[in-house]
Amino acid sequence: MLNFLDVYERALKGPLMTEQDFDLKVFIPTLRKVVKEYGIVYDPENPIPSDDTAADNLFEAAVDFLSQVGIYCQDTNRVIQFSKDEVTKVVQEASGRCFAGEDKEAGVFGMRAPDDGKIPWLHVGSGIVASNEEMMSNLIESYGTIAEANSISISALDNIRGIPISAGSPAEMYAAIRGVKIGREALRRAGRPGLPIMNLISTAAAAVTTIAASAPQFGLRSTDGWLVGAISEMKIDFGAMNKTAYLLNWGANIGAETAPILGGYCGGPDGTAVVSTAYILMGLLIQKGNYQLTFPVHFQHGCSTTRDVLWVVSSSCQAASRNTPMPVIWLGYMAGGPNTKSYFYESAAYLLSAVTSGAPAVQTPHPAKAIKVDGITPMEARFGVEMAGAAAQLSREQASELVNQLLEKYESQIPTASSGSTYQECYDEITGKPGVEYISLFNDVKEELAEMGVPFK
Amino acid sequence: MEKDQILENLASAIVDGDEDMAIENAKAALGQRMDPLETVESGLSKGMDQIGDQFGKGEVFLPELLMAANAFKAAMEILKPELEAQKMKTAQPGTVLIGTVKGDVHNIGKDIVSTVLETKGFEVVDLGVDNDTLSLIQEADKAKADVIALSCLMTTTMPAQREFIEVLEEMNMRDKYFVIVGGGPVTQEWADEIKADGYGESAVQAPILVKKLLGKS
Repeated sequence: MLNFLDVYERALKGPLMTEQDFDLKVFIPTLRKVVKEYGIVYDPENPIPSDDTAADNLFEAAVDFLSQVGIYCQDTNRVIQFSKDEVTKVVQEASGRCFAGEDKEAGVFGMRAPDDGKIPWLHVGSGIVASNEEMMSNLIESYGTIAEANSISISALDNIRGIPISAGSPAEMYAAIRGVKIGREALRRAGRPGLPIMNLISTAAAAVTTIAASAPQFGLRSTDGWLVGAISEMKIDFGAMNKTAYLLNWGANIGAETAPILGGYCGGPDGTAVVSTAYILMGLLIQKGNYQLTFPVHFQHGCSTTRDVLWVVSSSCQAASRNTPMPVIWLGYMAGGPNTKSYFYESAAYLLSAVTSGAPAVQTPHPAKAIKVDGITPMEARFGVEMAGAAAQLSREQASELVNQLLEKYESQIPTASSGSTYQECYDEITGKPGVEYISLFNDVKEELAEMGVPFK
Repeated sequence: MEKDQILENLASAIVDGDEDMAIENAKAALGQRMDPLETVESGLSKGMDQIGDQFGKGEVFLPELLMAANAFKAAMEILKPELEAQKMKTAQPGTVLIGTVKGDVHNIGKDIVSTVLETKGFEVVDLGVDNDTLSLIQEADKAKADVIALSCLMTTTMPAQREFIEVLEEMNMRDKYFVIVGGGPVTQEWADEIKADGYGESAVQAPILVKKLLGKS
């Protein structure tokens, strides 16, 4: 087994090159070659393919690609390389399980297969920025009251005592500590103190902030989950590696976080599918994750629900779920915001794609590209868990047909999608209840989807 | 080879990102004593316009754009001595200094904007990632930049865009540059709030925005 210090040594001794040479002379040409050699072809007519052989071929392409390209370390300007045998070995050694939560909320987050009837692990909530502590607290308490929720993401704070939060600043340190305390307290208020928080530390960009706010006196436990982000594409830095070093020493859950960008260095959907699959392997090798959070996005629209990104999600989810024992949380960014029909159509399409493709876990999809302050409500989370449950009853083929119908409804509106309402605009801030208008929209869309054939319970 | 054929080949070489073909045809143009400025404008730039349009329509992506830019640069290396000998200058709509702000190491969006601007003929000075405010200002001065483009991907690095504009004001240099902002969490509302001169939601809007600011659209 390659341990983390072995990986670190390779970051010190691997081939030296500039980042630009890595992007232009290694990453791009190797990816193009691998896509051609393995015959990876995007099929726009079929956003959710049902071909297991193609999924396994994509996995082989990803192994080959990763072993040829490696991971670039921005702090040493060296490439961390792995042989094909080492990549295969790390897959064989992976447990495919993540133990999360405490007491009656303790659970094992494991694998699923494509067309699996089992409901995925339901990860509820988001790290979308909240403008004030009370609103953040209400939001998390509401997430906690969703009975189906297996784990939670908590918001990031926008400010502390009115001081804007900058990456790596003392304000960030204060807000990160305050954020985890609010998160744990809100879950206690919901009656579920053991529920794992798995997007730690949401209000921390700098490694030093993550590590400091993780001290147990602030309320976190090793059965929560910390995100250690890769830098797109196929890069890492000492900040992320320091987080891994700390969490490994503690024995806490590590979530390898990745966001392949369609249209960037990955090129089109074919190349992005290879990279998206390779990232799951990278999560095992570099971040030493025992779970993963991934959210492929479109370079121009910033969302995960264009036809080509949905195909990437489905293809790489199938490739990984069939071949890599890594419990991955699949997360989608929607172009539409809260209180819009478009959000629900997109959310349904994303969850149909991920769940039927074997996603071990899904996160409730993020509205408005996850960039609108206070731009999320518990209603989207409620829809997400119901939709994921319904999707688990469908096959890939049935889901693909539904996704094509949904794309007809929202695809052309993506470039101009409304970012929707804020929490304050469609929820009562005191009672934490949704307004009548939003409830009505929610029910109308569910009815429409049920008529299309979505089997809500 | 006929003159028209050379120009057509140069445009195709750019669209296909074929560096060898671009060099070969640039040499052929000089061998035929073709006007170097016309060679650039009716051959190479035509190809750059085509690939830029394809990118805007989502038909090609960043790798194709980078390959086109490299083929363009390779051909320009061949043509440059002749352009200089004849004291000719290609149309250069302006210089843009670009980088991500302090604390932000995410480069892809910034790289796409940088490449799109290059394909439209701008001189681009790319400072990469994680730039502190004073370094950006010093480099802008060195580069004689017309426009400073600031990118960020995280909400916690957005305040550095505001800080940059405030520091420019504090140094009485605000009128010296146009400052434009972009990146995942950035919106028009944010750009207005921090008094930036412009914002683009996607990379393809960048050249249009910069040309407008420089009064060249």
